[in-house]
Amino acid sequence: MMCSLPVQSFRYPESVAGLRQRLRYLLRCVIVCGVCLPVSAAAEDVQRSVELRYAEPGTGEVPDFQKHVSPLLGRVGCNGRNCHGSFQGKGGLRLSLFGYDFQMDLQGLAADAQSRAGKRIDRQHPQQSLILQKPLEQVDHEGGQRFAVGSWQQHLLLSWIEGGARGTSQPAVLQELRVEPAEIVFAAADAVVPLRVTAVWSDGEQEDVTPLCRFRTNDDSVATVSEDGVVSTVGPGDTHIITFYDNGILAVPVLRPFPSAAAGLIANDAAPDRPQEPSAEIDRLIMQKLAKLNLPVSPVCSDAEFLRRASLDLTGTLPSPTEVQEFLNDPGLDRRERKVDELLQRPAWAAWWATRLCDFTGCNPAQQAELGQEVSVQWYTWFYERLRQNRPYDEIVSGVVLARSREAGQSWLDYTAEMSAAYRDQEASAFSDRETMPHYWTRRSMQKPDAAAQAFAQNFLGIRLQCAECHKHPFAPWTQGDYQEFARFFETLRYGVAPDARGEYQRLASATGVRSNGDDGGPVTPEVLRRARQGEIIPWRELYLTDRESSRTVRLLRSRDVVLQGSADPREPIMEWMLEEQNPWFVRAFVNRVWASCFHVGLVDPPDDLNPANPPSNEALLSWLEQFFRENRMDIRSLQRAIVLSETWQRSWKPVAGNAADDRNFSRMIPRRMPAEVIYDSVKQAVAASDRTDEVRTDLDRRATGHLSMRLAGTYAMQVFGKPERAVNCDCERDNKSTLLQTVFLQNDPLLIDRLLESGWLAELQGRDSVTDYPGLIQEAWLRTLSRPPSASEQQRALEHMQSAGNPTEGLRDLLWALINTKEFLLIH
Amino acid sequence: MAVSRREMFRRSALQVGTLGSTLSLSQCLRAEAEHGNRSERSAVFVFLGGGPAHQDTFDLKPDAPAEYRGQFRPIQTSAAGVEICEHLPRLARRADRYALIRGITHSLADHGLGTRYVMTGNLPTPVISYPMFGCVVSKELPAAADLPSFVSIDRPVEGPGYLGPEFGPLSTGEKPRFGQPFRVRGITLDDTLTLGKYRSRFQLRNDLDIAFDQYEQLDEAVRGLDRFSEQAYQIISSVRSREAFDLTLESGREVDRFGRHDFGQSMLLATRLIEAGVRFVTVLLEGWDTHQDNFNTLGRQLLPDLDQSLSAMMDRLGEAGRMESTAILVTGEFGRTPKVNGNAGRDHWSRAMSSLMLGGSVRGGQVLGATDARAEGPADQGYTPDDLAASFLQNIGIDPQTEYQASVGRPITLIRNGEPIAGLL
Repeated sequence: MMCSLPVQSFRYPESVAGLRQRLRYLLRCVIVCGVCLPVSAAAEDVQRSVELRYAEPGTGEVPDFQKHVSPLLGRVGCNGRNCHGSFQGKGGLRLSLFGYDFQMDLQGLAADAQSRAGKRIDRQHPQQSLILQKPLEQVDHEGGQRFAVGSWQQHLLLSWIEGGARGTSQPAVLQELRVEPAEIVFAAADAVVPLRVTAVWSDGEQEDVTPLCRFRTNDDSVATVSEDGVVSTVGPGDTHIITFYDNGILAVPVLRPFPSAAAGLIANDAAPDRPQEPSAEIDRLIMQKLAKLNLPVSPVCSDAEFLRRASLDLTGTLPSPTEVQEFLNDPGLDRRERKVDELLQRPAWAAWWATRLCDFTGCNPAQQAELGQEVSVQWYTWFYERLRQNRPYDEIVSGVVLARSREAGQSWLDYTAEMSAAYRDQEASAFSDRETMPHYWTRRSMQKPDAAAQAFAQNFLGIRLQCAECHKHPFAPWTQGDYQEFARFFETLRYGVAPDARGEYQRLASATGVRSNGDDGGPVTPEVLRRARQGEIIPWRELYLTDRESSRTVRLLRSRDVVLQGSADPREPIMEWMLEEQNPWFVRAFVNRVWASCFHVGLVDPPDDLNPANPPSNEALLSWLEQFFRENRMDIRSLQRAIVLSETWQRSWKPVAGNAADDRNFSRMIPRRMPAEVIYDSVKQAVAASDRTDEVRTDLDRRATGHLSMRLAGTYAMQVFGKPERAVNCDCERDNKSTLLQTVFLQNDPLLIDRLLESGWLAELQGRDSVTDYPGLIQEAWLRTLSRPPSASEQQRALEHMQSAGNPTEGLRDLLWALINTKEFLLIH
Repeated sequence: MAVSRREMFRRSALQVGTLGSTLSLSQCLRAEAEHGNRSERSAVFVFLGGGPAHQDTFDLKPDAPAEYRGQFRPIQTSAAGVEICEHLPRLARRADRYALIRGITHSLADHGLGTRYVMTGNLPTPVISYPMFGCVVSKELPAAADLPSFVSIDRPVEGPGYLGPEFGPLSTGEKPRFGQPFRVRGITLDDTLTLGKYRSRFQLRNDLDIAFDQYEQLDEAVRGLDRFSEQAYQIISSVRSREAFDLTLESGREVDRFGRHDFGQSMLLATRLIEAGVRFVTVLLEGWDTHQDNFNTLGRQLLPDLDQSLSAMMDRLGEAGRMESTAILVTGEFGRTPKVNGNAGRDHWSRAMSSLMLGGSVRGGQVLGATDARAEGPADQGYTPDDLAASFLQNIGIDPQTEYQASVGRPITLIRNGEPIAGLL
């Protein structure tokens, strides 16, 4: 039963103290920071806050459980993780973590307490209720005093008990949260700005809920926020203050400019007269934000830095010594553009992106339904072929999302013959020619619908649903209900033997020695696969959909109702929804990942955690990138081209006066460690024989960033450098932090020492009678590792070492070891 | 001056990588009072990989029907009323020093999943990877700068999970074999790279690594590489660390005491590492996956090896007065089927298994928990791997309820579902 609240409109006779306080804030704001609270035109329609309405006892108004009591419990901390919101509860009372489970919360509050001190809710003697006495600390309370005698909080809770302590059976729908001011720009260090939050319910009712909200700052080195929603500035920079109320979350941007406008900052934030190059538009949107922050930018990097950075970010490959020299001698003004276009066309670009798509989609040899390696390689290669042909992102994703084992109209026998043939010639392309890639669905970690829902949301939408498995998501609107309904989409997918194929399957299974577990079939083992390689047809299980017994209507992640029935593919409505212009996640998640792959952070970071409490550092830019990607038919190359040709991406890592503290607005490039696969390949390349330097760069079959990716998964070198196992749904699994084991590896691991001992390049020198051209060799060592010629003093230091080493080959080996161990080699800078 | 969050983040990233609470002060003090200085605490994890038959090792059922009880007879131990397998005579004489835990139960009879569960104390899930004990110790009780905190002898078992690779083990890459030179991956210097050459290379590297001069403190990636390069250099060039790995420094008598087999040499190495100040060492004794020929495999090789080397480790750590500061856990990933199969073997069985715990504050000479008459399952509700993990961590001096801020964006309790086993410590 719903507890109705009399809709009243009040004209503010604010309490004197409150008014004075508000005025003081207002004055300070107006004077020192130039932010005016916009006066809401409809202020009269907004019910004033509970703080004022319950300032005095006995108002006669009965508060609502959902709108007032539950948020109050959250605000004073009752349902926190360390208090009654923990899964064990506290002192016998358990509330839903972060609220929003109104039935459970009411049951908890209304249940008999174990305490002898009395009842939690005492209808006869409301004042005696433990839910009042505890937070007032009139009886012993481990959580201490939460509010004072005579406070509005006490009056509100008392009125609720007196009014019958009614719960919420059908939650009211919160339509919108409005926060004033919508943005805060601080001009002075001592400025404070109070937030005022209005809840707008779907029935049109509006209420000032400021005292019932929870507030959080996303960076307390920039701004803090008090429990009452008063924002103070701490230091220059920008962040967001997040407001939580009911099911609503709102982020208010807060910004305080850096102190001095340094020379070199040219912020042209005027909209251009005519359409610009996309990269110029990226710069404009970055500069617009930097101008607000008063942040100067670092100059564009040198050609040598550019070439190294572009090669590593686009293709995961170091440039060759010849390539470096040619580029540095190229007089053409468009040399950077030409180089980028060339890099984007290289197979290594497709390979490196295939590896990333495998990261995002969770291609893990240990979790395949069968034949971990072979299946993972097919998965990778299927992506690789599409990227090589530059197929649009949505088309690639459709091939995964809507995957089936059998192509339309194909019989099971034809299918299993085709799959068997794909192994016969060791030809991966046979599988890549398939329109769809079912392995995404057949891996073991996708077999449970709720696990599939979590994976899917993270993989393609950048949403982390897992919180909602146990409680309402703390920072997103996702409730347990949303999660459970989404999981229903995946419950009819099966990997096994479809009904029409059972006879033939069993016949083939017994003929080839597949251990079949009834209608589920059985995995193809390496022994059985050997038969396929020899030309036999072996029985493959298939991904198919079972029929639903009854139809049901489920909500698709709060966007729409979908009827799931019969044998209709429930993934189709998801895909349709993802492709719609208005879809808030699909494109955004991917363009943000592309951005993150070129910088040290995403615009939203972590990149796979899109939620209203984690807003982008530059919303205008992220929206523009989304639009650009859509307008260019989701062409990944065009998007990355636009990014790397921007001045923003080309900035030097060296700070200029005033921008050293910027770590999220891209006024300079922030160095990152090379990813695991890239380090592996780069070391190999640095020591390769002269006639093989091209081959080690282009033979993808032998590159960790390429087709070797799967074979190397789980090896010591990959583990040490943080190649993701792809066992959990999180982009954070790829770890580019530095560790002790990495430096031990680089200094003395047998793998590295052997690479240097077996260096093809050094072997060439050993064969020669006399080696005299020390400067030339030193220069080449630099080009091979740091992709630039050495400076005079570096040349000198290296020469000293070579001369003292006694043997030029050994001297050069030392030099390569030293260069591989420099930060300049290991970082993308 | 207050430390800003960003600054805090930088500092903590520099020091530990992730934000996490540790023991409260009072817990610390209590723990210290219990077993000496926290800074000397260490632990050894002996993993009996493959799943030892609990009923043929530490939980014999001589009264069960022949097809259940198997071929081995129990023997009395120095602890009153406690019996173990006849092939463990040395351990029987030392039963007053360890506690046997019987009736540990779970439902993952798969080597990979079972191992993951037992080594992390958390049921495996696709949502998050949990850290192996040693990684937690690496984070909470880091060793001196010139020593690795966590060494895995042979290959690494289970990784650092959400704590991040910073806390992963240094794995030796191979196990020490009796009579053969032993090379530790990444640590050993030899003719291909002598100490002198290594020092000169490192000097050359320092002289050339100048691109980020004046900006060493600015970015995390730069700071991290500087810090860890220096630490790697200290470890590799340190006499103490190299000697800790050098088994040739042991007398023939010690080598014999631990046993002239791989496991004996691994246990000897583990003991040396602990003595040198390494915090956590894992040792593997594999081959317990006895689907066939269970009794010969156990009776002729695995049990005698385990008996000799584990006893030697106990004796040596006891003689050195280090038993109170060293927590030791010996366990497999699950037990084996109650009934002997047609190949004189036993198959996977996760409803019951046994573990052995000693050192630290373990009260020796007792058995905790029990299985039913045929060793099919716990007699009462039994213990879980979570309980076992909570007990082990508690014994190391790490609060199993410690909370970490994982990179997946939510706080995670180290051992969420386990309680230290009552009466064990």
